[in-house]
Amino acid sequence: MRRIYESDALRRDDGPFSPTEVKRQKRPQRNGTGEPSFLSKFIPQAMANKAVYVSVTTPRKTYPRGVPIPFSVHFKNSMPFSVSIPTKSPLLWTWNIDEIIEASHVSVRDPPDETDRFGFNRGERKTFTRRWSQSFRLTDSTWEPAATGRYTIGVGINVDDPVSAGLYDEVTIEIVDE
Amino acid sequence: MALLEIKDLTVRFYTQEGVVTAVDNLSYQIKRGEKFGVVGESGAGKSVTALSLMRLIDSPGRIESGEILFKGQNILDMTEKEVRSLRGNEISMIFQDAQTALNPVYTVGEQISEAMRHHLGYSNEEARERSIQLLDQVGIPEAETRYSDYPHEFSGGMQQRAVIAMALSCDPDLLLCDEPTTALDVTIETQILDLIEELADEFDTAVQLITHDLGVVADICDRVMVMYAGKPVEKAPVEELYYDPKHPYTVGLMSSIPRVGDTRDRLQTIPGTMPDLVELPPGCSFHPRCPFAEDACTTTEPALIDIESSDEATVDSSRAAACLEYTDQLQNGLDYEVRVVDENTGSEMNPTQTGGSQNV
Repeated sequence: MRRIYESDALRRDDGPFSPTEVKRQKRPQRNGTGEPSFLSKFIPQAMANKAVYVSVTTPRKTYPRGVPIPFSVHFKNSMPFSVSIPTKSPLLWTWNIDEIIEASHVSVRDPPDETDRFGFNRGERKTFTRRWSQSFRLTDSTWEPAATGRYTIGVGINVDDPVSAGLYDEVTIEIVDE
Repeated sequence: MALLEIKDLTVRFYTQEGVVTAVDNLSYQIKRGEKFGVVGESGAGKSVTALSLMRLIDSPGRIESGEILFKGQNILDMTEKEVRSLRGNEISMIFQDAQTALNPVYTVGEQISEAMRHHLGYSNEEARERSIQLLDQVGIPEAETRYSDYPHEFSGGMQQRAVIAMALSCDPDLLLCDEPTTALDVTIETQILDLIEELADEFDTAVQLITHDLGVVADICDRVMVMYAGKPVEKAPVEELYYDPKHPYTVGLMSSIPRVGDTRDRLQTIPGTMPDLVELPPGCSFHPRCPFAEDACTTTEPALIDIESSDEATVDSSRAAACLEYTDQLQNGLDYEVRVVDENTGSEMNPTQTGGSQNV
């Protein structure tokens, strides 16, 4: 009888999902599902700000008009201990297009007037995805398509001045006629 | 005065992923003794609406705005003590999953008795007697023996019946049924629905029935609200909804009901899925799935319009739909046809709508 490893059912190559003999260089990091530890509140704010790295990426730099633009938002705690960043409201982070929050000229929501904390476990990475529909909200019920040109997608943690706190990143994309 | 009146209710969940708007500016009312259906796909905001009525939304969810008037009093302004005296007493809820709703370490009878002792001041003996009576009423055989059984000793259908008995124990004015038959097989489903209907008629209880099954709604309800992505897209008396649906989503839902004897190879579905409530598409939330969508649908969000007056709908509007068709902003209109076919003769009866080929 042929054994499974004698057949072609198993392949060992360099594909991303194939089993390999190469040992992992890094230890797997803890999943970011749990709450950060209570002690994270006592980490000095400046240190917590330095620990958290924010970045935003898009798969491409140019997009045809009318095609939604996906972007990924990454947050990473580079420290081997939990940190948390106090935010202005339960809205932990925001994105904007050319500094227009969530591409809306009207306030989309009114978050409760209370602070919250954006917590990270040791070495934790969080990745979220969003799509910009290439339109700007003008009123509660109307939108306008974006014209061709360059736009900056910015992402920041909801603190007073995310840029100077180092909790902000942006990427520029271009919308072109096909 | 309506028994329950909900005005501009908005419920949001603040998560790390973003802000989920589960219920957005929802308004409706339920009259005393009325059976009101709420339908929609999973994620439409039906259950969150029901939980909001009992103020059971837990962190990170928040009821951000609106009013929930029960007998003229705003539930959102009540103290926790006042709300607790309302829950299980004047407003009861039948949860979707009876096994989870029942506490496994207390006997079924004790769980039914507890509500009566707490709200109605019954003695242990009185509560026990009434519980046995209720268990008998909901069709549990040998109710007196079963009183002392634990939830795991009941079958799924019996657990659901026990939850119904618990919900009816304090003779509520409003019964919230959150997909009460989802976990049950069809024969038990029919029994449970008949039971709810029968008991609601007997006690003159208003029922808000949450379901994704339009057949159940047709069977039981007087009026229906169809929800999509946290918003109401159509409100109508039940017969009008079936014979003359006004919103493409309702049409899609009804044409996706499988029928015995249908010769189509594949079941009809609404293409796509419900949008992510963290980032709704611009314009009408349903436009990416709507076969009648035009450019205007991508840039304008339709208001809920009273079909008769063509003005923005109010809580009193009996017939309303949220589609640009009713503000004359669609160029090609809604192109579908409703054909009512007699099951016995196979002949067509009184067609109403125009166009296309949706066999509803």
